[in-house]
Amino acid sequence: MDDIVITGMGAVCSIGDCCYEMLKTMRADLFGIRDNEYFSSEFQGLPAGILDVSDSNLKLISRVEDDEEVSRTQLMAQWALREALETGYVHTQKACSDRPLKVVLVNGTTVGGMDLTEQEFSQLRQGEGNADCMLTHDCGATTEAIARHFGNTFSEWVTVSTACSSGANAIALGAELLRSGRADIVVAGGTEALTRFHMSGFNSLMILDHAPCRPFDKNRAGLNLGEGAAYVVMEREELAWKISGKMAAFGNCVDINAYLSGYGNACDAFHQTATSDNGEGPFLAMTEALQMAGLKAEDISYVNAHGTGTPNNDLCESVALRRVFGEKMPPVSSTKGYTGHATSAAGAIETIISLLALQHDFIPMNRGWKEPGEGLVCPAMDCHSFASLEHVMCNSFGFGGNDTSLIFSKKPTAASGQDLPDTDNGICELARVEISDTAQLSDVSEFVKPMEARRMSRLMKAAVLSSMRALKEAGVDTPDAIITATAYGAIELSERLLNQLCDGETLKPTWFMQSTHNTIAGELAIRTRCHGYNITYSQGDRSLQWAMDDARRLIRQGKCRTVLVECHDETTPLFRQLMERVGRPCQEEEVKSLAIVLSCGKSSL
Amino acid sequence: MEDLILELKQEIIAALNLEEMSPEDIDADAPLFGDGLGLDSIDALEIIVLLEKKYGIKLSNASEGKAIFTSIRAIAEYVSQNRKK
Repeated sequence: MDDIVITGMGAVCSIGDCCYEMLKTMRADLFGIRDNEYFSSEFQGLPAGILDVSDSNLKLISRVEDDEEVSRTQLMAQWALREALETGYVHTQKACSDRPLKVVLVNGTTVGGMDLTEQEFSQLRQGEGNADCMLTHDCGATTEAIARHFGNTFSEWVTVSTACSSGANAIALGAELLRSGRADIVVAGGTEALTRFHMSGFNSLMILDHAPCRPFDKNRAGLNLGEGAAYVVMEREELAWKISGKMAAFGNCVDINAYLSGYGNACDAFHQTATSDNGEGPFLAMTEALQMAGLKAEDISYVNAHGTGTPNNDLCESVALRRVFGEKMPPVSSTKGYTGHATSAAGAIETIISLLALQHDFIPMNRGWKEPGEGLVCPAMDCHSFASLEHVMCNSFGFGGNDTSLIFSKKPTAASGQDLPDTDNGICELARVEISDTAQLSDVSEFVKPMEARRMSRLMKAAVLSSMRALKEAGVDTPDAIITATAYGAIELSERLLNQLCDGETLKPTWFMQSTHNTIAGELAIRTRCHGYNITYSQGDRSLQWAMDDARRLIRQGKCRTVLVECHDETTPLFRQLMERVGRPCQEEEVKSLAIVLSCGKSSL
Repeated sequence: MEDLILELKQEIIAALNLEEMSPEDIDADAPLFGDGLGLDSIDALEIIVLLEKKYGIKLSNASEGKAIFTSIRAIAEYVSQNRKK
């Protein structure tokens, strides 16, 4: 197995419209620029890390006609991707290769094209308005539109949607696609535009700070949302060297920015929107990443924390960091005081920040911090600092308990190039359960207490029922991994929330927290006490195939013995009508849920 | 006060989707969280939204809510003193 190298980077967010601008902002004192007030732009009266470029200008940059319906999520992605593709010489690499290179886009997003949908919705719900936004409403369609913008650059694309860890999980999945040979070059990251939808949703959960956020501070009072997009170009080191030799004729070469030496994906399996007191999920993700990189905790020179600024996250992350690093705590900082929390793009933006730190040997400052608090780590506060960094850890945690940790290194580590087993011992299906009738949903009481069922959405009930039945049939209490597929996610709840938004009501917290695509996998992890690998794919009708491929890979590599793979989608009369209007008819069934338990083979169970 | 207590019970049953409960099942003096009715932090958020929508009461953070929502009677007393509508 080859080492995975980062060969290109691109980003746009509130502190810069390219990687170099971001570096300049964070090293303001060195570059002599003004210390901007990144949260001066207000969104619904709340501070937010907004990219200070209008949609019209984004279209100009992207060479898109002004009257074309393109979501902000897509436009920001295209901008950041162009920088990544250029700095990674992806087109030159393709031209210099003696065989066609498979370039795959792995994109993390959750809101997708919601910024357009929410603008049109008051018209759409009355059967009027321009329904074209439905063509790129869902995450998968957004990713496809982004990929197609670059002509034939990408041969394949996929969306990972694990809420606030989407960007990080996209990068980890990208590495796996390179290792399995499915891709020669991966461009991975995330994109998320601020929407009224999720701003109002986070507000109803009362986790937004009304002042600029203060991660790890005693008086922290929540997060500020942000927006942006960021991507890295990744490939196997061997390919980078080989192509670099051929590129010499063009006067350039492939730059190896860093090595992706380790990554870990774990599930907290505790609560949909809160982290556990002992930080189990974050602890497992960091430990797994260290193990993969073959590093000891003390080898890490800097941790870019998730550090949102909510009382819950920062305390639990501090507990988890202390469990991993003990007395040998490296410098830690959250950079959300600069960027805000760009949700699905956060992991990718912070990957760029981690890479910049590694390349330029500095420790980003934890902007907004003033006072130490009980149980909290004391973050790095010196923006003048120079430090020799070798290995940088970047944490991303999300709703649903989806926790991921990445490790980037200046040089390859001893373990990073080691081969993983790849053996197919006859993967078999232990159970398969399908639910497509809403009348069956009351049967969920077999597995769920009434006090728990009362807040479950229709789609959630179907998912829990099919999954718990399949696991029961397979005789599995706790699977080793949970992989969910969904094309559209919680359509019914999204529609109710959009109605509330149009009617000027406060969004219902119970609905909002179940509206992200990954809530199902998160709920199933809680029910089965599964702290293992947990991911959600959202790539239209190809979602299930991606999920199954991932499950088989985990089993072949000996990482898992049993994997729960499920696929769920639902529809509503309005959604069906809108999709028909744009010529993309969706499923007939109100709900459709499929759960499969895969195993490495009965004998070895 | 008794009318307000009944109204609150009905509103809370609806907002929290406590399908199998009727107002008589809820003791106005019993704790709402933990051992009593068994509500949790998400329910506290729902009650905060309810108070804003129905009575025009704005709470600034969730912990403020938790201190007030000790029982239905406590909520009723708070509402009668602070309601804007």
